Amino acid sequence: MPLSILLPMVVIGIAGLVLLLHLLGLSHPATLTGDADARAAWAREFPDDTATRVILSHDHHAALIETARGTGIVWHMGADTTARYLAGAHITRTARGLRIDLPDYTAPHINLTLDADEADKWPTLLKDTA
Amino acid sequence: MANPAKGYRMTDMLTYPEVTHWAVPFFIAAILAELLWIVIKGRGGRYETRDALTSLLMGAGNVTSTILLGFVAYSFFMALWAITPLDLGTSTWVVALCFVLDDLRYYWVHRFGHRIRWVWASHVNHHSSQHYNLTTALRQTWTGTFTFMMIVRAPLILLGFHPAMVLFCGGLNLIYQFWIHTEAIGKLPRWFEAVMNTPSHHRVHHGRNPRYLDANYAGVFIVWDRMFGTFVPELDSEKVDYGLVHNLGTFNPIRVAFHEWIGIFRDITRPDLTWRERLMYALAPPGWSHDGSRDTSERIKRKHLAQHPEDSGTPGFDPRP
Repeated sequence: MPLSILLPMVVIGIAGLVLLLHLLGLSHPATLTGDADARAAWAREFPDDTATRVILSHDHHAALIETARGTGIVWHMGADTTARYLAGAHITRTARGLRIDLPDYTAPHINLTLDADEADKWPTLLKDTA
Repeated sequence: MANPAKGYRMTDMLTYPEVTHWAVPFFIAAILAELLWIVIKGRGGRYETRDALTSLLMGAGNVTSTILLGFVAYSFFMALWAITPLDLGTSTWVVALCFVLDDLRYYWVHRFGHRIRWVWASHVNHHSSQHYNLTTALRQTWTGTFTFMMIVRAPLILLGFHPAMVLFCGGLNLIYQFWIHTEAIGKLPRWFEAVMNTPSHHRVHHGRNPRYLDANYAGVFIVWDRMFGTFVPELDSEKVDYGLVHNLGTFNPIRVAFHEWIGIFRDITRPDLTWRERLMYALAPPGWSHDGSRDTSERIKRKHLAQHPEDSGTPGFDPRP
């Protein structure tokens, strides 16, 4: 197939599908319904490290997790979640909450939407690991 | 066969259509149909905007890398074609045989792709979505050339299948695999599930459940998995959990495409490793580590059986010794 046909078709196809998905309301981030849900999301990534404490964000899109190995975080990845330990994290205050930079090529930045109290409190909870 | 008078064979200039390119309109239409089915029926899978965008961009990148780097494999194949005295011609039966043998080739390349970290580094992106829909099928590698897995196709060329025919069959194989990346289709008639790779079989392959790891490598014919002992059926009692053992925290296509290569580089350049350990970080199964701090699929399965001994001997788990 000539590139003059293939290229526009791919570009228009991708743009059209993505626009349709967004208009259909399929861009909503995953919500952690409660502590149990956050624990389950953590256990999905680290089944050997039991969560001993969970602190949910007010919007339920992220949670701080404490384990015997240290502090970690669960956060939304689109409609799903993932999790990382926060060893080596660099934390910055942003207008909407916090930005966490991790020394991890597969999860370099986490942008958290937190209220003012959370944005004040979470860095102190993380300082032992950061 | 060779024409000694002219010094070339009738099939030397053989060409076939770029079937994967011609299939792009079908891919777009099928994704649209699956999406509308899911939205209207409220079942049959899930879509999410950023995940789908990443998958589609990976597909576009794969086409780009094939256009840019395809000459490497093709030059290798044409060099083999120049030295082989065999030419099986272009009859329909030869194309059919080529398709079946290339599917056997696919099975082994795919198995290597899950068992050798160097090859996994290229293939991992295909498994990096936590969704399983038709866009996941397009989440393809950008770095396949660097795995050198084109070597596995060498016997086909040397046996007398023209490189263009082999690549044509490989393209048809990939097109077949597109439609099996869906949750909208349940199980198909028993005879079909017995012979062919199906959505059900391939859902298992994309599972991160301990039971479903390293299973169902087939491209078109599931018989290869049945023959080589890697077949695991989809169980009604255990829903497939899609994605990687450690899911990515980014939708950035560059990071999706290259993260495992970066991981290999960082591991093999660590200080205080022996040369054997450096080599193992590149060639051992994913999850291997010199200090045992990571989990391979075998260890994940062993840990699961330690907690769930009742699963021993069930599909996906060997009987405990």
